[in-house]
Amino acid sequence: MSEEDPILSELASKKKKKKKKIPFELDSLETGAAEGSAPAEAPSDTPVKADKENKEPADDETLDLELAGKKKRKKKFLDMAKLDAALPEVDPSNQGTNEGSALTEDAPPEDDLLDFNLTHTKKKKKKKKDIDEELEGGKMDKSEDADNELTNKSTWFGDDRDYTYDELLKRVFNIMHEKNPDMALGKKQKFVMRPPHVVRIGTKKTSFANFTEVCKILHRQPKHLLDFLLAELGTSGSVDGNSQLIIKGRFQQKQIEIVLRRYIKEYVTCHTCRSPNTILQKDTRIFFLQCEDCGSRCSVASIKSGFQVRSFNSCGRTFSYLNISYRPSQENELQSERKQRESVFMVEGLAGVQRVTQDLIYSISIISQKLKGKFSFSLDLIKDK
Amino acid sequence: MSIQNLTTFDPFADANKGADEGVQDGFVHIRIQQRNGRKTLTTVQGLSAEYDLKKIVRACKKEFACNGTVIEHPEYGEVLQLQGDQRENICQWLTRCGLAKSDQLKVHGF
Repeated sequence: MSEEDPILSELASKKKKKKKKIPFELDSLETGAAEGSAPAEAPSDTPVKADKENKEPADDETLDLELAGKKKRKKKFLDMAKLDAALPEVDPSNQGTNEGSALTEDAPPEDDLLDFNLTHTKKKKKKKKDIDEELEGGKMDKSEDADNELTNKSTWFGDDRDYTYDELLKRVFNIMHEKNPDMALGKKQKFVMRPPHVVRIGTKKTSFANFTEVCKILHRQPKHLLDFLLAELGTSGSVDGNSQLIIKGRFQQKQIEIVLRRYIKEYVTCHTCRSPNTILQKDTRIFFLQCEDCGSRCSVASIKSGFQVRSFNSCGRTFSYLNISYRPSQENELQSERKQRESVFMVEGLAGVQRVTQDLIYSISIISQKLKGKFSFSLDLIKDK
Repeated sequence: MSIQNLTTFDPFADANKGADEGVQDGFVHIRIQQRNGRKTLTTVQGLSAEYDLKKIVRACKKEFACNGTVIEHPEYGEVLQLQGDQRENICQWLTRCGLAKSDQLKVHGF
């Protein structure tokens, strides 16, 4: 069977094309088919087919062979019941056309033939493949497919007719499905994001607890995400000692999620193929998004905080203020100027003091990084300002 | 009948126009900022300088029943500032009045 398959498929394709060319005329169809199939088909006979031939009342040799070829194809691609039902109907019509009589029988079989043609053209490739896979192992299968491809191509090359749009479309889709079987069903791996874990700290601040985790999932620098979040929310904030983000202002998880979604859309997913497998690079002040999957590269908008209203720093309630001030170790006269300029932590109540110490340590570390150890620090707790 | 090829073409016409119009990249940025408590501020930055922002703010105040001002900023030009969360309102209003197209608007914040 396996040796015969390429020949058969070639024949089939030839037949199919011929039939397509001249769709609705039975006579021309018959003649064309007979011409195409008569010489080549003789060697590809099988015992089963021979049996069938014996059953049929055969009058024309070539016609019968052609029919047999059809039979075989039908047997392969359609179920047996259909085949049996179809054959007697086809045969009389052939005889009729040959003898030039039996006009009454002409119409229904024509329909049948057309029907079959349609089914053939539509299901040909897929069904063929299925059967092949059932019949043989992987390697044989592959070689067969390659053969099919070759024969198909050769027929495509040989013909200089106008291809219909449908044919070309089908061809393209077949090739696509063959090349990458994963996308056959249009399924894409979904990008799973862990929801941000947002907790209110006191009344004024919000903690984004799994901030660094989210950064890791997105493969982005925490600083970049931090910049974006703060610019979008129009507030200030910093990363805590235990890797959580403290944002000034009240925010709910939903709101953070919306902003995060916007970030992913703009800075994580590829703008061309939407895959999240991307790298953010900085080239001469502009960020570029390079996709790992499709290889596209495009620039992304820079993060700008834009206009900010800064008028509501102190909030007039009774808080314990913790003032972190720093002074330059050599120039003492600058101390008074600089004193008020560093960040002021607001803590509500006394319970916050412990939390402050953590914040404090972290902020000191930041400041010391910024100033590179040129300055010494002093911390003082001011109550009820 | 004039021949189109021979007419002079100023390649910098667009560039000059672009510099005048808006602050950057033709977008109108609408932002929200939290104040104390539940209070918020909405800022509209990047409206074309052709328009009289004072008149716009007057109309907005009346329309949304809120207060608002125009702030001069050295970098961002004139910025419209409205009290409360007016992002939805201002978006609709700007498109309805034809001051900006909906694809020019860029809403920031949560």
